[in-house]
Amino acid sequence: MTIFLKRLFLFLIVVIVIDQLLGLLLSHLYFNQHKGQYAQTTYAVDSANQDIIIFGSSRAVRHYSPTILSNAFGKSCYNVGRDGQMIPYYAALEDVIFNRQKPKMVIIDINSWEFFEGNSKYEKLSILLPYCHKHPELIKYLETSSPFERYKLFSAIYPFNSSLFIATNNKLFENKLSLAENGYDPLDKNMDEAGIAFTKKIIAKEKMDVSVKTAKIDTLAMRFYKQFLQKCADAKIPTYVVISPTIAPENSSIRKDKLIEITKLYPTATFLDFSSNPNYNNHLEKFADIFHLNKKGSEEFTKELVSKIKL
Amino acid sequence: MIFNSVVFVIFYIIVTALYFILPHKFRWGLLLAASCYFYMAFVPVYILILGFTIIIDYFAGILIENTVEANKRKQLLLCSLVANIGVLVFFKYYNFLNTNISLLLNNFNARNPLPFLTILLPIGLSFHTFQAMSYTIEVYRGNQKAEKHFGIYSLYVMFYPQLVAGPIERPQNILHQMHENHEFDYANMVEGLKQMLWGFFKKLVVADRLSIYVNTIFDHAEVHNGSSIAIACLFFSAQIYCDFSGYSDIAIGSAKTMGFDLMTNFRRPYFAKSINEFWSRWHISLSTWFRDYLYFPLGGNRVPKLLVYRNFLIVFLVSGVWHGANYTFIVWGALHAFFSIVGMIITPFTKDIHLKLHINKRITDVVRQLFIVLLVTFAWIFFRATSMENAMTIIHNLKTIGLHPFLGDSVSNFGHCILAIVLLFIIEYKKEYLPTKFNLFQHPNIFIRWGSIVSMIVAILIFGVFNGGQFIYFQF
Repeated sequence: MTIFLKRLFLFLIVVIVIDQLLGLLLSHLYFNQHKGQYAQTTYAVDSANQDIIIFGSSRAVRHYSPTILSNAFGKSCYNVGRDGQMIPYYAALEDVIFNRQKPKMVIIDINSWEFFEGNSKYEKLSILLPYCHKHPELIKYLETSSPFERYKLFSAIYPFNSSLFIATNNKLFENKLSLAENGYDPLDKNMDEAGIAFTKKIIAKEKMDVSVKTAKIDTLAMRFYKQFLQKCADAKIPTYVVISPTIAPENSSIRKDKLIEITKLYPTATFLDFSSNPNYNNHLEKFADIFHLNKKGSEEFTKELVSKIKL
Repeated sequence: MIFNSVVFVIFYIIVTALYFILPHKFRWGLLLAASCYFYMAFVPVYILILGFTIIIDYFAGILIENTVEANKRKQLLLCSLVANIGVLVFFKYYNFLNTNISLLLNNFNARNPLPFLTILLPIGLSFHTFQAMSYTIEVYRGNQKAEKHFGIYSLYVMFYPQLVAGPIERPQNILHQMHENHEFDYANMVEGLKQMLWGFFKKLVVADRLSIYVNTIFDHAEVHNGSSIAIACLFFSAQIYCDFSGYSDIAIGSAKTMGFDLMTNFRRPYFAKSINEFWSRWHISLSTWFRDYLYFPLGGNRVPKLLVYRNFLIVFLVSGVWHGANYTFIVWGALHAFFSIVGMIITPFTKDIHLKLHINKRITDVVRQLFIVLLVTFAWIFFRATSMENAMTIIHNLKTIGLHPFLGDSVSNFGHCILAIVLLFIIEYKKEYLPTKFNLFQHPNIFIRWGSIVSMIVAILIFGVFNGGQFIYFQF
């Protein structure tokens, strides 16, 4: 057994050394991307300090043009939205950004479905792992998916789990990537025939879906949402909670009612609902896919949003 | 407790270390306590069900052994089987049977008086029930002496590595090992750890990665085109293999580190050239269980051809039912029976087809292997589907040709899926066709040996999915 333990010890040292060396390489690759979502997230976490900050998921990234908002209000603006993310991410990012400086206005693009019960929204926070050493305040958010995240960070490779493909692609084909405009990355395309057929099927399916009326609400997500609005209220920051346009009118649901109910509790928060706006519902020409407006639709929407915001 | 969790890693290290620190006479107690803790990490109260069947079978075994009269022995065996199957039927099939009774009575305008129960299926119930049943059957047959030590017998049913998803052990293989004093063995420890690592790779890098795409497509099958569904079906074939065989590897490996030899459960099933060969490579502990305790008692293949086919049909249907209380599993079993019987019928005509066609045997073998993969993949549709309606939607949409498959929420994930399958294929191909070559994990050169092990650890860290994905077979 002694031989085994000695060899195991030696083997673990080898593993640790290789882990740390490869981790350094991966870190170098990751933090030296200049385009793409990882680079945008790095900017959002480490540097975003604009007057207007837009939080949200891919719908925020595709729907809100900071240039239009900047021109309208004469203030700098940045879109820190990130594909696939939900409420816990907005709360985590708000924590980091507000620790640096308080913006003058906050827009949060949200959807009632983000209150669904499930772990995936917490697991997706793993994209924040590369930033935990520099911003330890993020660890508590990551611990919502596993209490061991703090210890897993002893590995230098683990924070870059699943990011190698994209990071390599972003580095190798940097010239081919479009440069997002202050975090805004519109989809400059229209739906093709297959996309339209797919969309119609989804719309028909969602109309039939009655589960939204009886669905349970994720209480932790709700707590993060309240925390988000509370921080804005404490800093007296005007906060616009927006449901941006959807391709079909959103069904009324317990989740949506809860979203509105919570928002009303905070005096600095204003709720703007575009999900049943006839200017967008069923206007397939304004959408790039089932979830996202295209460039034309998003610019029209941002202008309409500007007209509803009073600063 | 699931294997792919940090809690299990801590649990495993503590239990294995204590196992070798403690004197032999205390080890069964340690393993039994650890197994109870392992099982109770799911739903604690269900340990009572295990306790119930353990007590019944323990006494049944002793009584059967001590009884000379054949009829009485049979009655005792029946009591044990009824208790085990009763528990299984109640927890697994009660609501399913009740639904069907209601549907039947509705046809006669009658009302079903039986209530529907909210029952959570005890994890791994089918596995430990079958393991327990094999004990009393073997004692009855005289192939195994009844275990007098209640703790050791309990450990036989509850041994944590194989408690919730097998391999389904036979008493002749494992019970005596529980009495033996296992000294620390360097080779066992190292080989066991390597097998566990390979299991973690299959689960974290392949199965859980593929599940992201598979779930996206299968959960919304009605909106996806044929190419997306075809890819999802093929991915599911690889996913379920890596999920289940990965579990088996971790189970067998962790037992081996303590000196226990569990039976092999998988032998690269997708290289099979017939459905029957597939079943001699897939979930071997279950296939052989059905062979020994159902197929042979039915007459096996020592009966006229038609009865052999009947036996196959019965075994596969029971196997389908064993997997779950849903018609999808029954259809899945029936499909395998059909493929198997057709395979037996046409074998005389296709046996030497390469000679008739004047082509290399390797070519016909590859065609056979691909064909078996397609058949098995098609059958998996029913296994994966949540209902018959869902399965029919998948099959219907499979026919719609779409040139642009949906690549999932992120192209990166799809890329990871392809990479995972390619890596898996290379490693499995090597194991199947070049078993003595490129054995990097066993290479005499320490740099190559350690380098390959470290590479696998690094691959898991870089490409693995760490969301604690549940093992598919836990539900059975």
